Amino acid sequence: MQECVRAKNEPAPNKILKITAGLKKAAFLNYVVALFLILTINFLVPRLMPGDPLQAIYGSEALLVITPELQEELTHRFSLDRPLGEQYLSYLTSLCRGDLGHSYYYNTPVLKVISGFLPWTLLLAGLALLISTLLGFFLGVESGFRRGRTLDRVLLGGVMLFSGFPDFFMGIVLLLFFGVFLSLVPLSGALTPYAGHSGLLLVMDLLHHLALPLGALVLVRLTGTYLLTRNTMITTLGEAFILTARAKGCPERVIRYRHAGRNTLLPVVTAAGLQFAHLVTGTLFVEIVFSYPGLGSLLYKSLLTRDYPLMVGILLVITIVVLTINLLLDVFYSKLDPRVAKCT
Amino acid sequence: MRRLFSQPLLLSVLILSLLIPALTGCGAAQREKEAAGLQDTAYTIADPTGDWGFPSPFTHYLRGPGYVRMSYIFDTLLWKDSQGYIPALAKSWEFLKDENAYLFKLQDRVTWHDGQPFTAKDVAFSFNYLREHNYEWINLDVVQRAEAADDQTVKLYLNRPYAPFLEYIAGTIPILPEHIWKDVGEPGQFVQKEALIGTGPFKLKDYSKEQGTYLYEANSQYYQGTPKTGQLKFVKVGSEMTAAALRQKQVNAAQVPPELAGELKKEGFLGLTGGHDYVAKLMFNHRKAPLDNVEFRRALACAIDRQALVTICQRGFGLEGSSGLVPPDSPWYNPAAAAVYPFAPDKTGELLAGLGYAKNGAYFEKDGKVLELELLISSAGSGPGSPSEREGEMIKNMLEDAGIKIDLRSLETKTLDNRVNEWKFDLALSGHGGMGADPEFLNKIIVGTGFNSARFDKNEELNSLLGQQMKEMDPDKRKELINRVQEVYAREMPCLPLYYPTWYYAADKTVPLYFTLQGIGNGIPQPYNKMAFL
Repeated sequence: MQECVRAKNEPAPNKILKITAGLKKAAFLNYVVALFLILTINFLVPRLMPGDPLQAIYGSEALLVITPELQEELTHRFSLDRPLGEQYLSYLTSLCRGDLGHSYYYNTPVLKVISGFLPWTLLLAGLALLISTLLGFFLGVESGFRRGRTLDRVLLGGVMLFSGFPDFFMGIVLLLFFGVFLSLVPLSGALTPYAGHSGLLLVMDLLHHLALPLGALVLVRLTGTYLLTRNTMITTLGEAFILTARAKGCPERVIRYRHAGRNTLLPVVTAAGLQFAHLVTGTLFVEIVFSYPGLGSLLYKSLLTRDYPLMVGILLVITIVVLTINLLLDVFYSKLDPRVAKCT
Repeated sequence: MRRLFSQPLLLSVLILSLLIPALTGCGAAQREKEAAGLQDTAYTIADPTGDWGFPSPFTHYLRGPGYVRMSYIFDTLLWKDSQGYIPALAKSWEFLKDENAYLFKLQDRVTWHDGQPFTAKDVAFSFNYLREHNYEWINLDVVQRAEAADDQTVKLYLNRPYAPFLEYIAGTIPILPEHIWKDVGEPGQFVQKEALIGTGPFKLKDYSKEQGTYLYEANSQYYQGTPKTGQLKFVKVGSEMTAAALRQKQVNAAQVPPELAGELKKEGFLGLTGGHDYVAKLMFNHRKAPLDNVEFRRALACAIDRQALVTICQRGFGLEGSSGLVPPDSPWYNPAAAAVYPFAPDKTGELLAGLGYAKNGAYFEKDGKVLELELLISSAGSGPGSPSEREGEMIKNMLEDAGIKIDLRSLETKTLDNRVNEWKFDLALSGHGGMGADPEFLNKIIVGTGFNSARFDKNEELNSLLGQQMKEMDPDKRKELINRVQEVYAREMPCLPLYYPTWYYAADKTVPLYFTLQGIGNGIPQPYNKMAFL
């Protein structure tokens, strides 16, 4: 009998593995399709606008500054004198080479300009995502575990209050209080210019400058994670396996984190991925409040100077970063919850 | 993984232990002071934008502050202070009328930052090189050729008499070292250390595009004396934070919001009130009826209370627009042309009645049609004091009170400029800088072809006066011509100057900063003239 059952079930794991691999491919394919759609829109919009496409790509103000030779070179580089299909091909191949166009304000290739600013945004947004998720998770677990008690009420009230503020507003409030009123933190920038710091002092200086922009982002962004964790925690605590754990005599701390916490983590990771796109947008505004040298400041400047290629380049880079983070979280998710890898 | 999440407390403590010292640890202000103790003579200037490009003639961004950062390193033939022209690389100059040329006697014993001697050949080379490589900051078409007569004498021949020569060319063109630039084929891409060798009072030690910072070091060999400031720094500080940065002694000088200027002055800071370089204007489409009629434009001008725009919209920080276009604090101002159209809504009624309009209810009508105009405004101002929706609403109310129906349209600045450029508008609210520079600006904004210009060429007298003022080499005669330009302009009113916003700067008293007569170089309205640091 047992043998019979085994024989019937034997091919099943192989099938599941195949299906999983297929699904993973499909998920990856989704990202590729999304990227292509974005690239295509990016390519089509300036070219479908009435008038000279070079003017749509660069803006008429830029064309006054750009020399005729450079104009000719740009027309040639974008293949603007060729049919649309060929233009698209040349657009994609130049993207593969890392050619995002030429910033007329900086008079430098767009990628070169962006690569100087991107690390600062990644530092700020990455740390904000990490800290807000961890802190939101931790507070959510503690709050959910103590549902209805004083700590839960205080946390819930406080976090809800902060979530009502836009991040840049929180930034301004923090800057006014800690920077202007208490003079505890620097008023702008990412490091003290020409202070001659190195090693640990430089790291401290960076953290000192990072404290407020990061604080503003974390305070506003942890709400989503906190509420999600708290609610999931409450639901999870009512599950039968928690009762079993309690009956086994597991200590509170172990139940809280190893049993309930780990199960609560799953939706939190999904939400973190979804939140990243919003976080990046928030970062752009916060950077401007703190004169922080990231993509936000750069985008703002490109808007002021109407440097279209730079604007498009920044948006493209942000899109790619957001897609990559989501893809990584998808992979991480299946590692975190083995059921996903087997059952999806 | 399990271990990580079973120790959340440890993790939070770790994060907090990183953040708390960062928050409370050695403050930036404290460290700044320590640095100041070591570098007694460092001077820091705050700038909300920060990055203005690599400070070499071909690579700084084509905006005023970019030129100023380059001017610390590169000298010109002559320079300006608050009173007028002063010698720089040329110790004296003379206009040779017969040859239509300028003769410059150069300073002795000037050396480049790399120790090479500076000679007249460098000057001649610079003019030829800049012209060949299409120097974008200044158009050099008017210079026919530059010749070095001997090591200390240079002669610049002009194609035609050109009144703003000293201002725009001798006082603005940076002189380059021939031994470095002669081999540079693509100056726009020249960003090596050698591109920063000049004769100026400062040498560049560092520039960071990302942080938007510049660090200069005094040139102890400077031929006009060693700068008193050992180091000069430009740092990026948001405009809202400048007052706090000044108070916390993080910076020595900054542009400040007008509301805080008085307060800072009371606290002992040096208050610097800028000249009125920016003008907010009401553009008329004078190629289209009924605005092509000068009487109609005058009627509109009388309906607008310009002083109220300053008092209410600019909160008093500005000057009322002068009908003659030139701001009242300019040396070229003609008071006779200023108040041609005082606020008089009754006069508007009279003028419109003279044109055949009759009031029916709240609005004027003609041939049964209500007098209605479209007013384009920019949804967000493009700079401090630039007109936006607030000013647009107020002008709409004023014109409607006078009986002219206004259809207010808020557009993005770029779209507005395009509509104006293509003459697809009735009225538009716009503005631009450059009013404090050499009166060549009058030609640019009256008959020039840009979208900031009135593009008004219907009045032969005005065209001829503008042409003459560019050629008149005698300053007194030129002043007379400019006076007449203002009178004719006020009479024709191709577009109405509304107000000139006032810009404020504040600084501690370590360096006596001042505003340059007609702006630094070709008219940059900033108080950071390099000569203030000597």
